[in-house]
This record gives sequence, C-alpha cells and structure tokens, in this order.
Amino acid sequence: VQPPEKPLQAEEWNKLRDDFQLPEVFEEVMLNSMIRCNSPIDVAKSLLTHLAKRDGDIAYSVLIKYLTLCVHQGQVSEILDVYDIMKVRFKILESGAYSLLIKGLSNSDQWRMALNILEEVKKIMIPSRTCYESCIKAASRHQEMKLAFELYNEMLAKDVVPTLDVLQSFFNFSRGMEGAELQKELFGILFYLRENQIYPHKTFMRSIKLWFESIPGGNWRGHLTNIKDSGQCPVCKHQLEDSNLTEEEYSNLSERIIRDVIHGTDTFRKTSPKEFEAFQTFVENRLPFDIVIDGLNISHIKSRKMQCENLFDAVSCLAKENARLLVLGRKHMLVNSSNWKREIMKEMQNKADFFFAENISEDDAFLLYATLRSGKHCRFVTRDFLRDHKACLSDSLTRHLFCKWQRGHQIAFSTSAKGETFPLFFPQQPAFRYDCVVQTTGDTWHIPYKDVFEEKYSYQVPRKWLCIQQK
Amino acid sequence: MQCANMLLRKIVRNSALPFAAQHGMKKDLFPLSRTLSLSLYLKQDKSCEPAEKLDLDEWKKVMKSGLQEEVSETVSEPKELSSLAAARETLEMWRLAGKAVPEHISEEQLKTFMECPSKSAKKKYIKYLHLKELHKKNDKRKMAEKRERRLEARDETSNTEETKKSPFICLWSSTMDKAYNWRAAQSMIFGQPLVFDMSYEKEMSLREVTNTVKQIVMSESCNRRSVDPFHIHFCNFKDDSLYHREFVKQYKEAWSKLLITVTDQCYTEIFPKDKLIYLTADSPKVMKTFDHDKIYIVGSVVDRSIKRGISLARAKRLGLETAALPLEKYLLWNTGAKNLTLDQMMHILLTLKDTADWKKALEFVPKRKYCGFVNKPVNELKKTLDMIHTLKLGKGQEEVEKRFAKNHPKKYRLKQK
Repeated sequence: VQPPEKPLQAEEWNKLRDDFQLPEVFEEVMLNSMIRCNSPIDVAKSLLTHLAKRDGDIAYSVLIKYLTLCVHQGQVSEILDVYDIMKVRFKILESGAYSLLIKGLSNSDQWRMALNILEEVKKIMIPSRTCYESCIKAASRHQEMKLAFELYNEMLAKDVVPTLDVLQSFFNFSRGMEGAELQKELFGILFYLRENQIYPHKTFMRSIKLWFESIPGGNWRGHLTNIKDSGQCPVCKHQLEDSNLTEEEYSNLSERIIRDVIHGTDTFRKTSPKEFEAFQTFVENRLPFDIVIDGLNISHIKSRKMQCENLFDAVSCLAKENARLLVLGRKHMLVNSSNWKREIMKEMQNKADFFFAENISEDDAFLLYATLRSGKHCRFVTRDFLRDHKACLSDSLTRHLFCKWQRGHQIAFSTSAKGETFPLFFPQQPAFRYDCVVQTTGDTWHIPYKDVFEEKYSYQVPRKWLCIQQK
Repeated sequence: MQCANMLLRKIVRNSALPFAAQHGMKKDLFPLSRTLSLSLYLKQDKSCEPAEKLDLDEWKKVMKSGLQEEVSETVSEPKELSSLAAARETLEMWRLAGKAVPEHISEEQLKTFMECPSKSAKKKYIKYLHLKELHKKNDKRKMAEKRERRLEARDETSNTEETKKSPFICLWSSTMDKAYNWRAAQSMIFGQPLVFDMSYEKEMSLREVTNTVKQIVMSESCNRRSVDPFHIHFCNFKDDSLYHREFVKQYKEAWSKLLITVTDQCYTEIFPKDKLIYLTADSPKVMKTFDHDKIYIVGSVVDRSIKRGISLARAKRLGLETAALPLEKYLLWNTGAKNLTLDQMMHILLTLKDTADWKKALEFVPKRKYCGFVNKPVNELKKTLDMIHTLKLGKGQEEVEKRFAKNHPKKYRLKQK
C-alpha cells in the first residue's frame, strides 16, 4: 500500500480501508508502509484521529507503530506525548516500547528523560543492550563521562554484553579530556577487550589511537604495524607476550579436557574406562612425545593415494628430525585391506609409537590427552578444527585457553600444487610464538585489530597491530 | 533520585508546552472536564469544524479523555505488583504489542515462564503455549461442528423411523477392546518380549519426557491392536519418576490395568545377556533380519538437544550387542536424523515380525526423510540425487563433491575433473 502524502479526512480513510483486501489489518499495514516510506507524521496523525473517532480508543500496537515513526524522524514532543498517554493508559510497557522511547529521547536535548525511562525499565526487567547503548551514548555525548561509566559498569554487572559501538563511543567522547579516573576507566575497557579476546575493527582502532594521542601531557604516539613471526614489534622493538600457557592454565586445561571432553557425562560415549586406562598407561610409559598424529585424519589427505601411504609419507616426513612420534589410529587399520597394507604398517611402527583404539571410540580425545600430557613443547597433527571438542568444554574461559593452545600447537598438512606435502602450521599461518590479544607493559600498548572489509573466521587472528608507546 | 526524577519530569512536561501550542490545540487541550463523554466530543467536532480543516492532535484528546475516567478507577489498586502479577502484566503488554501470547495462562505456567533462564527461552515457551491453545481451540470448534452434524443426521434418521435389521452383529468398541486385551494377555505369556529402557530421565528436559511418554503410549496402543503383539517390558522404571507421573497423566485409571510388564529391574537381570540386542541409530552394526528369538531393547528417549551416542554408551557399558536399522541400505536418505520416534520403531518392528519384509516395514519412516526405496545400486542413485540437487538449488559442483566425499569417504567418489 502506498501511504497518502497529505493528511486525510475520516471519509477518505474509510474509503481507502474499504478498498483494501483485508480491512481488519488495514491500519497496521498502512502504518507499516508509512514507517517504510518515512511518511510525514501528520499523515499518521490523521489516521490516528480517524481511529480515535471511530473506536474511541487506539490499540497499543498502533501506538507503537506511530511511536516508531516519530522516533525515526526525531519528533521529540510527539514522543513525549505518546509516552504520557501510554503511561497513564498502561501500568507497564513492554520492552519494544521502552527501547523506542529511550532511543528517541536519547538523541534529543531531552536525553535525561531517557535515563528516567531506563530507571523505570530496570524495575521490571533487565534492559536490553541497545537501551544501555542509547543512554551511554547520550551521556557521553554530553560529556557526562562519569554517568556513562556508571551505566557501563552496571550493564557489565548484569551480564549484558556491550556493543563495540558503545566501547568506541567512550574513546570518541573522552578525547582530550583530563582525569586519572577517566583514564583508568578507559584502560579498563582495553582490558575488557583483552579478557574477552575481542579485536577492535579499523575505525574503533583509530578512535583508540586518537584518544591516546590526545591525552594532555601523556606524550603517547601510535603507529600501525605488522608484528613479525618472532613476536617483536618493529616500531618499539618490544617483545610481545608469549603464546604459551602458564603452568596453571596448562594444568587447568588438561584437567578440563579429561573431565569434559573425554569423560563428559558418560565415559562410555567416547571410549570406555578400560580402554582409557589402557591408553593412559601406554602414554605414561612412553612420555614425552614431540608430535602426536591423528592417523586416520592424515591418511585421507590425498584421495588418489592409498591411505596407509599417506600416513607413511607424513610419518617419515616428521620422523626426520629425530622427533618422538605417536600415531593414533583405530583397530581396523591393522586388518590387511586394500587401503591398509600390513607391511607398510609394520614399517611405520618402527618409526613411531602407535596406539589403536576401538573402532567405535573417538580418537580425537586421545589426541588431545596425549599432547597435553607430553608437555608444552608437544604439538599435534590433524586437519580437524576440533570444534566439537571445543564445544564440550563447559565455560568460555577454558574455551579461550583451548583456542590459544590450539593456535600454538596444531600442525596441519596441506597439499601443494606439485603434489608434495609440506607440514604447514594451522591455519595457513605459522604457529604463533606470541599471543594475539590486547596487551600492555605500562608505557606501551599493543592492540591487534581487524580490517572491517577483511573476512575473519573465528580461528583466524588479525595480523595487523596498533603499537602505542609513551615517549 | 526519585525526587529528582519527578522534578525533571515536570520541567520536561513544561518545556513541551509551547510546542503543543504550536500545533493548534490552544484552549481545549488541558482542562478536559471529566464528565465530558466521547460522543459529545464528536458531535461538537462535527458541528463546529469545517470539513476541510483537520485537527491532527485530536486523537490525543480522545485518548486522554478516555483514560481520565480509568485513572480514577485504578487509584485504589496497590502500587507494588507481586512478581506473578507483574509477569502477567508483561505478558498482557506482549499481547497488545501483537506477539504470540495465549489468552489464558495458569499460575503454574506463569511460574515456568518466570523461571525461564533467558529472554529467548521465555519467548519460545510463550509461543509454545500460544500454539497449544490455538490447537485446542481448533479441536474444540471441530468437535462442536461434528456434534451438530451428528445431531442433524440423527434428526433425519428419526424422521425415516424405520430401523434396519442387520444380519451382522454390531461390534462395539468395548467388544473390540476385550478382543485386544485377550490378545495382549496371550502375548504376556507367549509373546516375544520388547524392552523399553526407561533410564534416560536425567538426560531429558520435562518436555522431552512428556513427548517420550506420548510416543510410548502410541506405541503401546498400536502393539495392542496388532495381530501378534509383543510382550512389552518397561525396565529400569522407578516409581515416582517423571516417567511415572506422565504415564499416570496420560493413561489415568487405565495405567494399573495395562497388559505390560513394568519393573525397576534392568533388562540384564531379567533376560540372558546374549539374547539382548540394543537398538540404536549410533550402532556400527546394521540389522540384517529380524530375529524372533532375540529380545530387542529400545531406549525411551527423545533427544532434542543432540546428545550423540547416549544409548550406545549404555549398551557398551552393559556389554550388549547393538544394532541399527538398515535405513541406508533400503532408503535413499534425504534429510533428517536417522533416529526415529518410538511409535515408528514399534510399527517397523511389528511389521518385521509379521512379514519380515523390510520394504513394508520401512514404509513407516516419515516420507520427508527419504527420497525413495533403493532398487538400483546406491551409488548410482546418489549421483542422480546430487545432480537433482545441483540443478534445483544451483549449488556449485564443488560443494556437491565435497558433501559427497564427506558422506562416502572412499567407495563411491565422483570422478574428479
């Protein structure tokens, strides 16, 4: 439906409605299309007047649609009027109306009214993150940074995840402002990025840079750079944090892997207690390994080759450097078949230790256990992303640890054009010696960021960095 | 804070005043007399205003005039709402905003609603209640229509008044029930046992348990109606468990009269281990024929949250033989999980027992899950299917190949270019 351009009389509305296929939903459809076309509110008003005259009342859903139109056009006095009407009419409103009101008012000079409404919302439910976003932005736009941070901390305390936009607005609006307290709060946001492994995008990064450089008397200078594989920053020559887990993190992670991934709710789901025990004694007697190989995964690298040949290539390639190898497989590999030749298997068993699990057991869990048990230097080979095992971990902190460890320890084979296989580190980037998170030493900050246009998968980490140092 | 808010609100209100004045509602915006009724308003408007001029803010007057009366009514209500009442109020607002909310909500449902851990869980639950209510309403309407039709029909027959004498005995449902029960009783002595393993309560949510019980009730009824019923065993069945409660809810008094064996013992205690076969979709072994000497076990579990391998784990723990239905062998699988509902399992097993015909038995697999029965070698059919997919969905050849390679690691690989 095309909304009319000018306010209509009651008769004209009636006529339009009669011409419409489904007269019951005429008002809703009409208002929706008004919102879509951004019609002048006078037109909507004339429809409301017509409705009020006809029914003596206007439905809540219609009021909300009108409110949406007003918010889109920033009609503050209308928003206030609608709010007045709603407030007396209904004991409470629902979240949609509240966020519209807050959004509409926070962009105007009535922004404190939006804060009042937020207070009201809190009495009934936990406000949505967009509600907080509007209020925080309004407060910081009016240089009320203290208020803005109060709201921010409140939303964190309620487990409402802030949008990157909110975080960025803090940096934008604090530019050039003084105050140790403020500085501490903004550093707090940077630590929030660190703890949650969030990478700012390019414009956000720029806001951070500009804020640092604008701190009065701070003498901060920011440079964009790429960090070398060695982990040294080319600008300030500072060595980035090591990607290795701490002892505590490491033992924590191995404990969790055994508890959540291998045992889970029922040890029998992935293995059996007897088999796991056998595997444990097997591993303990031969520790430590340098590389643990997922035999079945590697054997599928090249489809034209026999599976045991693939595995043989990988094992002999890795065995060159006198590394202690462990290959995990399943019992069916021992049965002589077209894909698994007994002689080749025998030959391989001279070069590496083999453990064959039951055919219905999951060997990935064993892979993780053997690698973690061998120590920090040990790496593992598989093309698998191990997402299903990651998902078994119960909390996000351990999942982050797992990702970090995986980045530093997983080797993936890839086939080159010539048909030779080279060991490549996962995933198409070298195993990181340094940790890819926001980090500081006090007088320097290193912040990884991503280009907005660059596609980023969860397993990829940004290669671009912002280096900020104090002169 | 409260005080400041009030003050602020007042200021804001006042600052909106001049704005309102601009919109041409000078004198009659604020002092609205409470006794003025709506109809009076309309009359006045029509009489004094020329047709062309339109008062755009008139709807506000109407809204406010209507509510002033309401305000005076609601003054006596207590200000602080109890949490239950508040939840009810919230739902009412959802409903006004046009969301799917049921008309009637019991206290118990409201409590469940409040206990939902997240906003989306709340929405889901309310939508579920809404749909349930719609179905119930529709059923009621249909029943009423049916009754009317029946009454009409009876009127007509009474008009003809002649009662026909039939040479056949009319078999009423109670008679049928007796016959069925006789058969079921026989099966309890001579029938082949079929075990439902009732040990998954902890793995399921309340709704999943309800669904499980419903499926078992359906299975039991189709077993009772079959020519040669199984002797159904509920093993690992604990009294006062969720299962028990749901069964009593479903069967009411009939629960104690069911011709099945219910026990808290495990099947391994009742039957010899080498006779037991645990049916699970995760089993690496595929069932070839239906064995009349074995005792098949079906896990009474509805698994909406994809807990892979829980029944296989149970069988492994007890060292039992397992088997999966040969779905891949006989059906060209399309979409959906390979696990079937309990009543479908029962239909399939009953048909196998009677006819040993896989094709007939697997008719009970939902049609949406497969494309057809296999009569050519599987790999050829797969190829055609993939071709159809490529043409239909415009999917890249590459992706088809990838999917294919995943499903069929070695045996049936498409030729690479």
